[in-house]
Amino acid sequence: MSEIPDRLNIDRKDRELYNKLDSEEILKFKDNGGTRTRKEQFIFAMAYGFKLESRKPLDSMEGFVLAKDLRPDDEALINAIAIYNTKSIEILSDQKEVFKIAEEYAHAGIILLDSKIKSTSFVSYERELEKTLHEMFQKIKL
Amino acid sequence: MRIEKIILKNYRQFRDVEILLNKSLSSDLNIFIGKNGAGKTNILNAINWCLYGDEPHLSKDSQQLPMLNLQTIKETIDEGDQEVMVEVYVKLEEERTIIFTRRATYRVYKEERLPQLRNCDFEARFSDEKGNTKFLQNEDAVSLVERFVSKDMREFFFFDGERLDNYFKIATIQNISHAVFVISQIDLLRNKIENRLDTVLRELRREAGKENPKIDEIRNRLEEDEDKLKDVENRIEECKKQIEIAKGKAKECSDNLMRIPDVEALEKERERLKREKKSKKEILDTKKKERQDLLFEYEKIIFLWPAIENSLQTINEKKRLKEIPPTVDRSLLEEILKNKVCSICGTPLNDTSEKRVNDLLQNIKLSSIISQKLLNMENPLRSFIEESKFFDEKLRKINYEITDYNKNLERIEIDLSEIDKKLSGYDPERIRRWQEQRKEYEEIQTKNQKLLGQLEMKRDELNKSIDDLKKQYEDELKKEKKFELIKKQIDFCSKALDVAKKTEEIILRQTREKIESETNKLFFNLIWKKETFKNVEIKPDFNINLIHSMGYECLGTISSAEREVLALSFTLALQTISGFNSPILIDTPVARVSDELRTNFGKVLLDVSTGQQIILLFTPSEYDKDISKLLDPRSSGRFMLKLSSNEKEVKMEVL
Repeated sequence: MSEIPDRLNIDRKDRELYNKLDSEEILKFKDNGGTRTRKEQFIFAMAYGFKLESRKPLDSMEGFVLAKDLRPDDEALINAIAIYNTKSIEILSDQKEVFKIAEEYAHAGIILLDSKIKSTSFVSYERELEKTLHEMFQKIKL
Repeated sequence: MRIEKIILKNYRQFRDVEILLNKSLSSDLNIFIGKNGAGKTNILNAINWCLYGDEPHLSKDSQQLPMLNLQTIKETIDEGDQEVMVEVYVKLEEERTIIFTRRATYRVYKEERLPQLRNCDFEARFSDEKGNTKFLQNEDAVSLVERFVSKDMREFFFFDGERLDNYFKIATIQNISHAVFVISQIDLLRNKIENRLDTVLRELRREAGKENPKIDEIRNRLEEDEDKLKDVENRIEECKKQIEIAKGKAKECSDNLMRIPDVEALEKERERLKREKKSKKEILDTKKKERQDLLFEYEKIIFLWPAIENSLQTINEKKRLKEIPPTVDRSLLEEILKNKVCSICGTPLNDTSEKRVNDLLQNIKLSSIISQKLLNMENPLRSFIEESKFFDEKLRKINYEITDYNKNLERIEIDLSEIDKKLSGYDPERIRRWQEQRKEYEEIQTKNQKLLGQLEMKRDELNKSIDDLKKQYEDELKKEKKFELIKKQIDFCSKALDVAKKTEEIILRQTREKIESETNKLFFNLIWKKETFKNVEIKPDFNINLIHSMGYECLGTISSAEREVLALSFTLALQTISGFNSPILIDTPVARVSDELRTNFGKVLLDVSTGQQIILLFTPSEYDKDISKLLDPRSSGRFMLKLSSNEKEVKMEVL
């Protein structure tokens, strides 16, 4: 069994991109007048990268979210991505790899999210997010 | 009579202007058009100055300026004399023309001093039946003017649109009673007959008094009381006049205030709307935040849906195969194999048991960690699936609420801007002044009402005392035979005085009734709404009212145009009754008439111009396309007043 990591990392260069999320009300960090935690921002970016099927290895690492701050539902999502990605539940025995997969999706996700926000104003981004979610939701078989 | 020509020399803006007022077969309508300050109203002033020696319509700006033309002043040497002259040619029915000329000589100074009036004279000249030219000067010329348009009557012939509009709005009773008084020429009866009879009566009483000290004492007291009564009656009249003026002024203030919104109520409503706006805005912001949270939360569920679904399917499958939860702990088996002793019962392993434990270990596919992790994932993932069922519903609801609050805010914004619009058009200082003035006039009214009551009581007391003293006086006269003749003379005089007073009452009543009847005839002939109104009433107290066909009094609620037609009808009625057939000159006739009624009022003026000389003074904006289209073809003369570039002279252009 591999070593259990105590944190989720981001690429050092991504710190700035996470800080730039503050310009958007829906994503703004709680310490800067928003309501989002770093963990929530990380998972948002991770989901965005997953949706776009984009995963990117980190060039350099910097701790971003402590593992102890993850709640069961966060862990469930991170684990689900790892299982989906490796098509095996065995991955769950390798926490380091599970985190690595999450980190790589979040890395690609934050870069793509930054470009998306740049290409549109906040209101239209929010509207577009709403439209995308609505369209995707219609396709989901509940 | 009609004014056929006006010559103005050095009179205000008019340095040398001759105005020929033509008459056509179909109408006698002359129109002057000029911007404010171009001298329109000074044509009205020039006629007044020539005929009556004053300028009642002088604007505040003109009041500051000399009567002598400014360009003439500029071109005059120091201490040079210059003459202002206005000549009015009046043509009488019998085709005779009287020329009224007023001249004023001014000395001009180069230093900063106004020109000084040196002398002023007035003359009238006309041809007698034999064709000889006759001159009348000053007082004689004034008497001649009085025969055509007396100074008291001029206000019914030369006026401005504002006066026409206000005629029945301000001090109505005073206006009407004054008009009736002037028309009926009661002054003649009052001054020439009543006063004379009163003097004779007093002389007779004094004669008797000389013979008897007691009679003289009663006479003295009687005369004192009669003088007091006259004084009280004058004061009553003055008091009534003051009440009417105060009432009219207070009404004027109220009308002004009526046209503006209730500022206090609007301010309160504005504050309420601002509070509502703030509260709705806060809720809207909360709702927007809720939507952001909703989208944020559902982003991970919907975007990660394939992973969530996949994991849940795996968990379900593992559960179906009973692979989870694990029946045996893998690490326990590994520990037994390592120690070769059963960790549960402590029995050492033999070959058979060791093989069985090994087989068991091989069969366990999942570690307890994986199994536990899968189990830990199950509930959160199921919750996500459950949660997602409400995404659409939640989003729709919140969007509906946001739209609703936005609409509410838009409505509030519209209401606020409407209030601001209403409030911005009014100067709070002016509103406050109107309110204060109204209060002052109401106080004057109350004070005078109280005084009127006291004076009327005093009058009754004096009348009673006079009756008693007259009786005492009569009784004393009866006592001595020598007073028989004088008593008869006094009785005759008293009766004659009574008859004169009753005659005065009858004349006033008849004049009032004639004016009422004539006003009705003219008003219903001129007004375009024939069915809306029932009749015009001039009550015994000289209050005028217009009765709506439904029976209620409506003078206060009719439009400016309708009010002006009523005032015009009243004016024409006064002319008819008085026998004066003078021109009517109206300055800014439609300034207060709303656009849609201007044409109607223009038609009225055209109708009147078929039998009467009408001179109208318009501003270019008043003389709009519609009025021009209506009046141009029928007018007998049109003039444009143009102010020179140095604003010191006006040129008259015939259109």
